Amino acid sequence: MSSPPELEAWEVFRQEKAGDPMRHGGSVMAPDAELASHYARELYGRRQESVRLWVVRRTDIVDVADPDLLQPPLDRSFKKPGGYPMRDKLAAAREISGQAKPKARSK
Amino acid sequence: MSVVSAPTVALGELLRSMADDEFVIGFSDSEWTGIAPLLEEDVAMSSLAQDELGHASALYGLLGEPTGTDPDALAYDREPEAYRHCRLLDHGRGDWAMTIARRYLYDSADAVRLAALAGGSWAPLAELVGKLVREERYHLMHVGAWLDRLARNDGEARARLLAALGELGGDAATVFTPLPNEPALIGAGILAAPMTVLEGRWRESIGPVFAELDLPMPPPASDPARGRLDHGDTFHLLWGAFTSVRYSEPGVTW
Amino acid sequence: MTDPLALEPILGPRERLRPAFNDELPHDERFALFEAHVTRGGKVEATDWMPDEYRTAVLRFVEMHANSELMGVLPEREWLMRAPTLRRKLALTAKVQDEVGHAQLLYRVAEDLGKSREAMFDDLLAGRTKFHNVFHYPTVGWADVGMIAWLVDAAAIVAQQALRDSSYAPYARTMRKICWEESVHIMHGRDVVVTMATGSAAQHAAIQDALERWWGPLMQMHGPRSVREKDRDLHWRIKAKTSEELRQEFLTIYVPRIRELGLVIPDPDLEWDERAGTWRYAEPDWDELRAVVTNHGPMSQARLAFRRLAREENRWVRETILVAPRAA
Repeated sequence: MSSPPELEAWEVFRQEKAGDPMRHGGSVMAPDAELASHYARELYGRRQESVRLWVVRRTDIVDVADPDLLQPPLDRSFKKPGGYPMRDKLAAAREISGQAKPKARSK
Repeated sequence: MSVVSAPTVALGELLRSMADDEFVIGFSDSEWTGIAPLLEEDVAMSSLAQDELGHASALYGLLGEPTGTDPDALAYDREPEAYRHCRLLDHGRGDWAMTIARRYLYDSADAVRLAALAGGSWAPLAELVGKLVREERYHLMHVGAWLDRLARNDGEARARLLAALGELGGDAATVFTPLPNEPALIGAGILAAPMTVLEGRWRESIGPVFAELDLPMPPPASDPARGRLDHGDTFHLLWGAFTSVRYSEPGVTW
Repeated sequence: MTDPLALEPILGPRERLRPAFNDELPHDERFALFEAHVTRGGKVEATDWMPDEYRTAVLRFVEMHANSELMGVLPEREWLMRAPTLRRKLALTAKVQDEVGHAQLLYRVAEDLGKSREAMFDDLLAGRTKFHNVFHYPTVGWADVGMIAWLVDAAAIVAQQALRDSSYAPYARTMRKICWEESVHIMHGRDVVVTMATGSAAQHAAIQDALERWWGPLMQMHGPRSVREKDRDLHWRIKAKTSEELRQEFLTIYVPRIRELGLVIPDPDLEWDERAGTWRYAEPDWDELRAVVTNHGPMSQARLAFRRLAREENRWVRETILVAPRAA
């Protein structure tokens, strides 16, 4: 007599509308993937609020939260757009060229 | 194929039988709301019950349209013996195994019935059936998953499932009770085949599942002509409950 | 937009913003860092280190909330089989289903704090943990169904909205989902009440009677006035508003809406004090509240017994298919 599988936590990710990223919704307890998918549909999709769901066994998720990895202390502004301030240099260039600042492009 | 422009008596009987089936199973299974074996499962079973009630509303809507009869009046304002749901659904929800057994037999039978109505000549019903089929797929997936797990368990779960199937016995096949004036429905292109033929298709569809799970196939209906009559005490009690508030002050708006 | 000119200083272990990783610190320092983090509005996740006091406080708070959703199903469930129209039947079933769903969400949050669902059910059914007062009272008719769905849910929502920014992030996220789902319930409840209040004489009388029976428990629901400085749940930012703030908010929104239906609130002392900017009301019966939440309410024992029975009837399912995880 084999022992039945125990309930375990399954994380549910949902997509609100086509093209959206998958976002974490919450978790359900279930004995296997099939029932987990039904329960995910119930708790995160019964109101037609999702167009897609991913259901993942919690133990299959690798959690990375170490701040030394994700928020290391030394300056990394060269990796971000904000790391290239040019306001003063552009103002100086416009003075020399006599050109006005270009109008902002409408989106 | 001739197009039926308005429900004939035969069509009315069909709609009533389907609507009553969905209404009774929906009402019965909604009793699990709040007390199912697992919170997650509670939400699932409640969704299935709500779907059935929604289907019943839509079917009562079609039934009542020619006479302008309100779906609530059709659903609530009849004596118990005027309901035409199948005797399979006269059995109460029982324990979880009974609910699954009863539901599996009903949902698998309903799938065959709907397939025989899909693309029928009366557009309003054909359209509705197209939507119902899509919703009922999930029902069969879910109760099928449960039938499988209960049957494969080599302990109390399987024993209870077998007991439930035994209790349902000769009522299991009553979804396929021949309808009055059935030939008219077939002649009009609304129903693809007689109920006796549909029963055969049903047995073919569940046969492999039952064989794989080593479950006894449901016996033939014990009183085929009366499969949608003689509803018995359990349904009478249910009827008493669902009519109690409505009958407390007839005619008012709730 | 990040400040492009700021050079982030190199932080030593004592200055990092995430005390959870300061394993090498002594407990008191870690506690102090955690407390500073939370009282500054910082958030806590399930896998973060937290002092026992915080973990216990959050667990107790969430557990009572979960218990209340679970027990709150029962008064309305009694009327599921008696709903008088298809639409009311669907609405009520969906509402009760949502409450079960909320119980699931909340028990999951509590489970991830380290207490198993079965242990929480054991404690609830043995009377060791509590559920909110309103769910200890009987429902006598369809009017009660409307009144509960409207005003009890309204009072609950006022509290729940104030929890959406809780320091315990899993709880905060759950509250946002719950608040979004609850908005439908109030509409259903109000619709039932308005329909009956403007219906037959018997229906109006039934609604007035329901209001008279439920007003007391409603006024007690948010709890006795607490001193802000002494409230540990406020200190830890588990919740953000005091009992009195919630009660006042409830009165401000709902007293006019009740009165516009021609209903009479059974409190002759209830009036808006313009100068103080608050509602004055007859002092709620705090003895009644205390008795009720310790399971001496009119329906406390019957409802707990009902749940015990349902749990027993389903035991075989939990032993065969839905097997609870063994305690770690």
